[in-house]
Amino acid sequence: MEVLTPLLTVFAEPQLLALVALGTFAGIYVGAIPGLSVTMAVSILISFTFTWDVYPAISLMIGIYMGGVYGGARTAILLNIPGAPSAIATALDGYPMARRGEAGTAIGVTTVMSCIGGFVGIGVLALAAPLVSDFALRFQPRDYMLLALLGILLVGSLSTGSLVKGIFAGALGIAIGAVGRDPLTFTERFTFDLQILEGGISFIAVMIGMFGVSEALLQLHHVDKPAIRQKIDRIVPSLATVRKHLPLSLQTSTIGVVIGALPGTGGDIAALMAYDHAKRVTKHPERPFGDGAMEGLVAPETANNAAVGGAFIPMMTLGIPGDAVTAIMIGALFIHGLNPGPMLMIDRPEMFWFIVGALLTANVFMLIFGLTGIKLFTRIVEMPRSVLIPLILLLSIVGAYAVNNSIADVYWMLGFGVFGYFLRHYGYPLGPVILGVILSRLLDDNWRRAIISEREDLGRFFAGIFSSPLSTVLFIGVVLIFVSQTPLWRRLKARVLRPSGT
Amino acid sequence: MKHVILSAVSVLAIGLGAAQAEDYPTKEIQGIIQWGAGGSTDTVMRSVTPHAEEALGGTIVMQNMTGAVGAIALNHVASSDPDGYTLLMGAENPLLYKVMGLGDKDYNDFVPVSILARGTPLVVANVDAPFDDYAEMVAYVKANPGEVRFGATGPGGLPSVITAMINTVEGELDVIAVPYDGDGPALTALQGGAVDVMPAVLGIAIEGIRAGTMKPLAVFDVAETDKLPGVPPVTAFNPAFETYLPWGPFFGVFAPKGTPDEVVAKLSDAYAQGVANPEFVELMENRGFELMGISGQEATDFLTKWQQGTTWLLQDGGHTKASPEEFGIARPGE
Amino acid sequence: MRRPDPDHHDGTADATPGGCDDARRPGELAFVVLLLLASLALLWSAYGISGFEALSAPGSVPMAATTAMVVTSMIVVLRTARLPRSAGETLRRDILPGVVVIFVLLLIAYALLLKPLGFLPTSGLFLMVSIRILSGRGWGFALTVSAGSLLAIWLIFRIVFTVLMPPGIVPEAEFIQIFRDLGAGGR
Repeated sequence: MEVLTPLLTVFAEPQLLALVALGTFAGIYVGAIPGLSVTMAVSILISFTFTWDVYPAISLMIGIYMGGVYGGARTAILLNIPGAPSAIATALDGYPMARRGEAGTAIGVTTVMSCIGGFVGIGVLALAAPLVSDFALRFQPRDYMLLALLGILLVGSLSTGSLVKGIFAGALGIAIGAVGRDPLTFTERFTFDLQILEGGISFIAVMIGMFGVSEALLQLHHVDKPAIRQKIDRIVPSLATVRKHLPLSLQTSTIGVVIGALPGTGGDIAALMAYDHAKRVTKHPERPFGDGAMEGLVAPETANNAAVGGAFIPMMTLGIPGDAVTAIMIGALFIHGLNPGPMLMIDRPEMFWFIVGALLTANVFMLIFGLTGIKLFTRIVEMPRSVLIPLILLLSIVGAYAVNNSIADVYWMLGFGVFGYFLRHYGYPLGPVILGVILSRLLDDNWRRAIISEREDLGRFFAGIFSSPLSTVLFIGVVLIFVSQTPLWRRLKARVLRPSGT
Repeated sequence: MKHVILSAVSVLAIGLGAAQAEDYPTKEIQGIIQWGAGGSTDTVMRSVTPHAEEALGGTIVMQNMTGAVGAIALNHVASSDPDGYTLLMGAENPLLYKVMGLGDKDYNDFVPVSILARGTPLVVANVDAPFDDYAEMVAYVKANPGEVRFGATGPGGLPSVITAMINTVEGELDVIAVPYDGDGPALTALQGGAVDVMPAVLGIAIEGIRAGTMKPLAVFDVAETDKLPGVPPVTAFNPAFETYLPWGPFFGVFAPKGTPDEVVAKLSDAYAQGVANPEFVELMENRGFELMGISGQEATDFLTKWQQGTTWLLQDGGHTKASPEEFGIARPGE
Repeated sequence: MRRPDPDHHDGTADATPGGCDDARRPGELAFVVLLLLASLALLWSAYGISGFEALSAPGSVPMAATTAMVVTSMIVVLRTARLPRSAGETLRRDILPGVVVIFVLLLIAYALLLKPLGFLPTSGLFLMVSIRILSGRGWGFALTVSAGSLLAIWLIFRIVFTVLMPPGIVPEAEFIQIFRDLGAGGR
């Protein structure tokens, strides 16, 4: 009873239901436009909903959050421009599908899979929040560092062309992420004594430039080619399709929840890790990865929506944000007179169940809005390129500016756009660049924290790793994945398997 | 066609501009928040500004501009027109930029509109730490040099100032300072055991203390606070701290130097009313902030005193890049 | 990797980079040599951050990353130099056709004009000129489409999301205030 009433509050009040719906709907568009981020939308909503009650305010924010995480996939599929960092992996297989005229199918699958991922995330939040947050708290700086290394190794699966070029791109990303004043010591890094570089380079600006502008410039090569006609008759995926991908989607959802629950990592890393996982476990995809494999859509989309529920876990149980959006929500709860922290679950349990209820509702609305109105979205790709390309360029500019209200970011975005254009022409994969930028801080900061904690002693550092089961597991994971990517392993495997295999 | 509209609009605008400060504000005001969304500066500004807007009868659009520990936002506002339409919403650390080598501007290039509130620092420890109060901690650190990990937030951050204070009063303590990029992540690390001790502001630690996920060692003030009854002030352990206390981070709204006095007065008045709003008062008290709402000469004096005390403390502890003397910051009491 | 048009691969999808594995595209050698030089410069810069001061120094990870860049770009340069030139491709046609150059110039002009002229006029001009160039249709078409889409973008970003783009010569804030006053007066 105590659980059910607050859980159903959303349904009992039509006003709240409408707000969740409105938020989810708006969120899909916010997420789809590169440069408009959920973080931004939610922080504006704080001022906007200032005089409201706490329930309506939170309802609207949760709707935007859910819808926004899902919405990023739209432009990734249709235009090869991820609307949000968490949709980068979605573009890898989603865009090839759109080029075959299967954008409708791709959007349908991402919608259903996002919904499944969302439910898994919310389920874990509702049933095992204290357990997961205990686990997440146990992550030490060295564990975050190992996690970042694990992420860096994804370069292998993100670069389909030459691995050497992929490694270059990843390292470049890490270097880009280090530009500006180091947040730990305020030392200037790669600033060349220029003030414009002191604040660093916004990674959203890099992403918008590399994907948005370079894509638009490439499209200029064939302005006159007619747009691809999209088949939009088969949007809702068949039950058989869903059932086939269910095991994978549950695995990648789990990745999403855990990565989402860790303070300091969010849906972007979760989606990339899930993509990598899918590539490893899927032995025989219908189409190769990178050419429109369904699994390549299932994995990142389940993971990033599962990460939403995950991010709420430390927020609700400990008052620690799981990502940037939950950080703002903590501020919102505070402004509305609540005291987010470990006592919230004890003082105001109804708030927890209300949020779970609102998340569930948002997830259902996401499914509804996701599967309808696709026609309108696919129209975008069918627009004449002569109008579409200038619009993409302008949106990229506004989006890059909006991230931090900085003209410098616009310059970076344009610079990286042109640079990305050449990189693409000469066979450098762009995914690893963004991966490097995302992971740069995680790797750098935590490596330094870890080694400082051990008094700069590598021996103590490794002793530390092997004294903790969690670190040991992560370390073994890093080693195994690294070895499996080197040619040596392939040769070894071939030699071992040849006698037994037929 | 477009020309006609444009010139019509600009004529209108000039007409409005001529209507001077009595009509202020005639357009929306930009409030540049120095820190990211969700941080404590952000939360405080977003919760007081709507009340101030009401008193002012205008709109204040708040934007987060992060980077270079707030120096980017500070420089942006300092170089904007001093017409009262661009305000800086910041915290205490710009007063340390000069001595930390982070920039050549600080609040001396601004007029304080309002210093809203002040936080009380305290020192918390991981629940499993082998000491239960401040004195035991100092004794433990001295007995186990180089073993205790202190959370830090970079040079000039609150933990670095408190640590400098402790080192000055108790003599150098040999601890490991593990840097985090904010007090939030550092307190998370404290709960996870990656850090043993963390100087933090009361407001952010209070919920954790209430729930027993971290334990308070001492409040860095001259008296006990009613938010945390039973936690002794640090002066109870060592009266030598009285020289430096009370000290604490603060939040304030600032306008670029040269902003017309009437405009600043209007804004100050609006924020003073905002600070007095019962909802805001309750909000801040729950979080253990000391409300101030001061402006004018009082605020300027407060800033000067704060800067003198803190920069010289850091200078004497050897944490600065340049001596306060170079910037004409006098030693306190001189 | 299969390509629909073997002579003019466009490199559209990220997962299918536009490079050739078995031939050197026009300008590729110059580009990879440039990357090598840039990597070397960055490595030098990274060394300058803190040298080999400590494992935890702020320069450690940047040095590791730039070292990886130098090593990989050296390998790429050596490999690329050995490849035969790709047949039938020219820089002017396949890498940098006129229209791309024009757009890069337009973007540079945009970046330069944004601050002094302001967001609305700069964007309006940009959209009109680029749509005119690409569509080959009249100014009327270009004007209508750009005005419409610019209005939509402005409403979303400026009004809903309160993103303060540089106003330049347009007194945006005053303009909005007039509407706000009108709204308030009407109420």
